[in-house]
Amino acid sequence: MTLLEAKDLKAYYITKSYGIERTVHAVDDISLDVNTDEILGIAGESGCGKSTLLRVMFGIIRPPLQLIHGTVAYRSGDRSLDLLSLTDDEYRQIRWKELSYIPQGSMSVLNPLRRVRKTFWDFIDTHRPNTTRREFEDLVTGHLSDLGLPAEVLDAFPHQLSGGMRQRVTIALATILKPRLIFADEPTTALDVIVQSGVIDLLRRIQAEARNSLVIVTHDMGIHANLADRIAIMYAGQIIEEAPAKQIFGNPQHPYTKYLIHSLPRIGDKSHRISSPGRPPSLMVPPKGCRFRDRCEQKRRICREERPLLVSIGENHKVACFLAVKEGAHAS
Amino acid sequence: MSLFKRYILPRIIQWIVVIFVGTTVVFLVPRLSPMDPVQTTLSSMSSLGMANPEAIRQMEEVLMDLYGLRGTLLQQYLRFWSYLLKGDLGPSLVMFPAPVISVIGTAMPWTIGLMLVSTILAWLLGIALGTLTGYFADKTWAKILDAVIMCIYPIPNYIMALMLLFLFAYTFPLFPFSGAAGIGIKPGFNRVFIGSVLKHGFLPALSMILITTGWRFISQRALVTNVIGSDHVQYAELAALPRRKIMLNYVFRDTLLPQTTDLALSLGSIFGGALITEFVFSYPGLGQILYTAILQGDFNVIVGVSIFSIVGIATAALLIDLLYPLLDPRVRYH
Repeated sequence: MTLLEAKDLKAYYITKSYGIERTVHAVDDISLDVNTDEILGIAGESGCGKSTLLRVMFGIIRPPLQLIHGTVAYRSGDRSLDLLSLTDDEYRQIRWKELSYIPQGSMSVLNPLRRVRKTFWDFIDTHRPNTTRREFEDLVTGHLSDLGLPAEVLDAFPHQLSGGMRQRVTIALATILKPRLIFADEPTTALDVIVQSGVIDLLRRIQAEARNSLVIVTHDMGIHANLADRIAIMYAGQIIEEAPAKQIFGNPQHPYTKYLIHSLPRIGDKSHRISSPGRPPSLMVPPKGCRFRDRCEQKRRICREERPLLVSIGENHKVACFLAVKEGAHAS
Repeated sequence: MSLFKRYILPRIIQWIVVIFVGTTVVFLVPRLSPMDPVQTTLSSMSSLGMANPEAIRQMEEVLMDLYGLRGTLLQQYLRFWSYLLKGDLGPSLVMFPAPVISVIGTAMPWTIGLMLVSTILAWLLGIALGTLTGYFADKTWAKILDAVIMCIYPIPNYIMALMLLFLFAYTFPLFPFSGAAGIGIKPGFNRVFIGSVLKHGFLPALSMILITTGWRFISQRALVTNVIGSDHVQYAELAALPRRKIMLNYVFRDTLLPQTTDLALSLGSIFGGALITEFVFSYPGLGQILYTAILQGDFNVIVGVSIFSIVGIATAALLIDLLYPLLDPRVRYH
């Protein structure tokens, strides 16, 4: 069942300096669904717009980012809300209780001058007013012990916790009210590999227990392989392939996805890995046609003239490439 | 005990060293200056008609003694300390024979009263307005307030003082021109005296509050703008915490540390007096005394005021150091 439906999203960064207007087409015509009880991974290289997409889907659009077009429909009970047209107050009603957000692991998102307990209190008191002190203590200690965190962290100041512990506490903070949909923006960046795996386990456990949905953005394909049920690959502000994780890793269709998958190291494999030549196009003046064509070995004339649309080529498998569509048609 | 040894003792030692070095410099500077207070006094006396050379020579001896100028520099220095430790700063050379301590003593309450009130008021006002306009920068009232303060802030304080004096003492004679209290009113804890002090102090205080509030406002707004961009504030906004709560607990608290430091240092510098303001309003405070002393080479007074100023600032810095860990959990006693 669809929980969140993003449709025809266009969100640009528009800045003006010395009278010159610059537009960065960070999210350029993207439609993406999030289903109930699934982990959706969004992958792509730095600067492809994946974090921006996440923020737009979470409904936070602040200057210089501007929404140009599109809707984000969220199903709450039997209602459907457009997250992008809610007032601040309406949106505050569902934030944290239903939709929540885990920021980058490198961010110091906990107030350095407040003990962790107080930060938890601030967040809970905002979204569940009238919570008594006792209910609060029970809720927080229960949640922390569910996540395998010691209750002592509540009395600590953030600087007294390690980076990994801080990120776990942040995850606990984001999931305390059992949201139905969690957005995680590079939650493991800047953590070492051991801590990363702990954080990934934690996210997976939270999702498995609550049967909610998790959208995770990262450039690390290893994490997607470990965690995601379904993966969307982004390139230059657009989604170019979307499929269940098994399909993406086992049967990638878009030439860019193929490069991505083949770049993954495998134990024992010593063959040379070919990297995609060139660089992604500038998002200030995105080219017409296929945005990957300059780096593509199989480009044709049509790739220059027309933009390949994201079309279905199999069960739950969508790709935006003229070549793949033909091949897919052959296969079926 | 170990906290005392590790944290408090080194800072107290530092405090003593700062005062010692500062006082030494203050002792040396006027003695190395070309002005000779003994000759100045003598010439002013002989111009009054005292011409007997023998009497003048005797007078010179007495003055050398009184001013502590006899002997080598080292001897003078040691004697200076032995008197200073007893609280004796010597006589004022100009207001002879009044001791410097009592000259400073009469001026001190006026300066402290004036500057303590205006410094603290300006601090509170600047921080409150700076936080509000910094946090609600996109609101119209914030923009207007910002523009108004930006216009007031760059006015030099002597112009501001003269302007206020002209407007509110001359054009609209609401406040007195000069002085700190009405002539002939007996100092005491009664309504007439306090009323007079407030009336006399209003314009000088206002002129200082207007200028320093502007400065405080700008620094606070810059701090707030900076803190707003930090991760924990962004995250609190993302989680839709009430804006008032974010402003107070997430933004304002973060700016408090540098602002407290600065307040303490400003309070420490009170003992130097507000030279220009006191001069314009003929306010009988330390600044006024310092000004006269510099003009007339009364270096015992200069030394005295400077020592108070050094002790004030050093003590303020010591207090901040000792109080820091209470304000910011990230600062620990080590």
